[in-house]
Amino acid sequence: MLPAIDPQMNFYFPVTKKRVSSAALPALFLVFVIVSGAFAQQRVSRHYPAGKNVRIELKNLSGTITVESWARDEIRITATMDKPAVHFNPRQTDTGLVVDIVADNRDRRDVGDVNFRIQVPSRSSVDLETRSGQITVSNIQGDLVRAHVWTSGDITLSGVNAARVFASNTTGNIFFDGEFASGGTYEFKSGRGTITLQLPANCGFHLMATAPAQKIKMGDFWNTGMKLLGEGRRITGDVGDGRASVTVTNYQGDIKFLRR
Amino acid sequence: MNCQNYQNLLSDFIDGSLTPEDHRDVAAHINACGVCTETRNDLDAINGFCLEHRGEYEAVPNERALWLRISNMIEAELPARVPSAIPANAGWWFRLMNRSWQLSFPQLAATAAAIIIVVSIFAVVGSRGFSGIGGYRASGLAPSLGSGNVKERYRSQQEVIAYWNERVEMNKARWNPQMRETFDKNMSVIDAAVNDSMRQLTQNPHDEVSEEILNAALNDKVELLKEFAAL
Repeated sequence: MLPAIDPQMNFYFPVTKKRVSSAALPALFLVFVIVSGAFAQQRVSRHYPAGKNVRIELKNLSGTITVESWARDEIRITATMDKPAVHFNPRQTDTGLVVDIVADNRDRRDVGDVNFRIQVPSRSSVDLETRSGQITVSNIQGDLVRAHVWTSGDITLSGVNAARVFASNTTGNIFFDGEFASGGTYEFKSGRGTITLQLPANCGFHLMATAPAQKIKMGDFWNTGMKLLGEGRRITGDVGDGRASVTVTNYQGDIKFLRR
Repeated sequence: MNCQNYQNLLSDFIDGSLTPEDHRDVAAHINACGVCTETRNDLDAINGFCLEHRGEYEAVPNERALWLRISNMIEAELPARVPSAIPANAGWWFRLMNRSWQLSFPQLAATAAAIIIVVSIFAVVGSRGFSGIGGYRASGLAPSLGSGNVKERYRSQQEVIAYWNERVEMNKARWNPQMRETFDKNMSVIDAAVNDSMRQLTQNPHDEVSEEILNAALNDKVELLKEFAAL
């Protein structure tokens, strides 16, 4: 129960009505500092030198991951942690940087959310994974973009122009706005949620899309050469030159193609 | 003793075959050591799974042929027996079995050819008989697997899922409520996909799309369980 304050700045507890001496003020302040410290988020930021074609791997337990490009040849990782005692030990490798919150905190029971903001050179490859939480990747043009949410969390990939893109979750939406490179491989998979692919009108790819009947909306990308299989639960066929390979699977949700 | 020594005793500890002193010693160490507790839990889980599934095994296609091959290999390892004299009153089967076979190359080739012909005839007759029983083949673009295979694969996947599920259940108590809720919610999404595919396959056993979704959903379920079993 919260204490009441009288004009003389003495604290009263309404139930007991006993007077708390002014000597207790520093003690109360100390308690307040300790309690607020325990609930405060901890923010850690680190910089790493990087070439233009760097690879970053991140395995998180829970929390958001935001990756965006910037004009510098270095990586900056900012981690905001719910629990101050979370171990966060990025490891530099020959090809880039590995952050594994799962391995770093294997013996801990409750790690809480760790939210990442990562800035990388635009030609970087990113391999991101989390048990739950949203993943956002913007303006990356490296070889690989992989975003995997084991359970719930939206995935947003915008301005992505990579040769290989893999995005999957169990619950949550997947949004891709980018281009398909000729000969590239693109896979999108969700259990429940909408998968939206926003593409330029002139893109070319071979498609295999699978979802419950009536839930695949090809929009302007539909053409008469496409085949409907399994009572409309699968659409296969080429769009344009058909040189990129695109596989989209949704167990329960919709698949939508939009022209940019 | 270090952890390695204690872990060497864990199997006997679980079986209850240690001396009372050793048992007390190991129990005290397990209480104090997280790594050994986890090893003991893993051994317990494996032990429990084996006990629960005792007697269940994948039957080999021709069990008798397999045992004959094993028997032949064992006999080949044994020192050659001195051919014993065949008693005068022995039956024809005994005489046949105790006869020493020495075949020339043409005889051997003729025997092999005869075996190939007989096996081919049985294979053709057998496959026609199988088609006759099924009475229907998918008219899809690619040959589809029979529903028996799907059910068999489903059953074997379920065993794997049961194993990992048990491990997840053991660890679930340590998770926070939010994690438990998220896991259960997402598992129900995959279960819905599995059930939906099974329902479609019951209606149309040669539906390739449903079969692929079923396989993918079962694999996803195993992967999700494995991932969370490590938590």
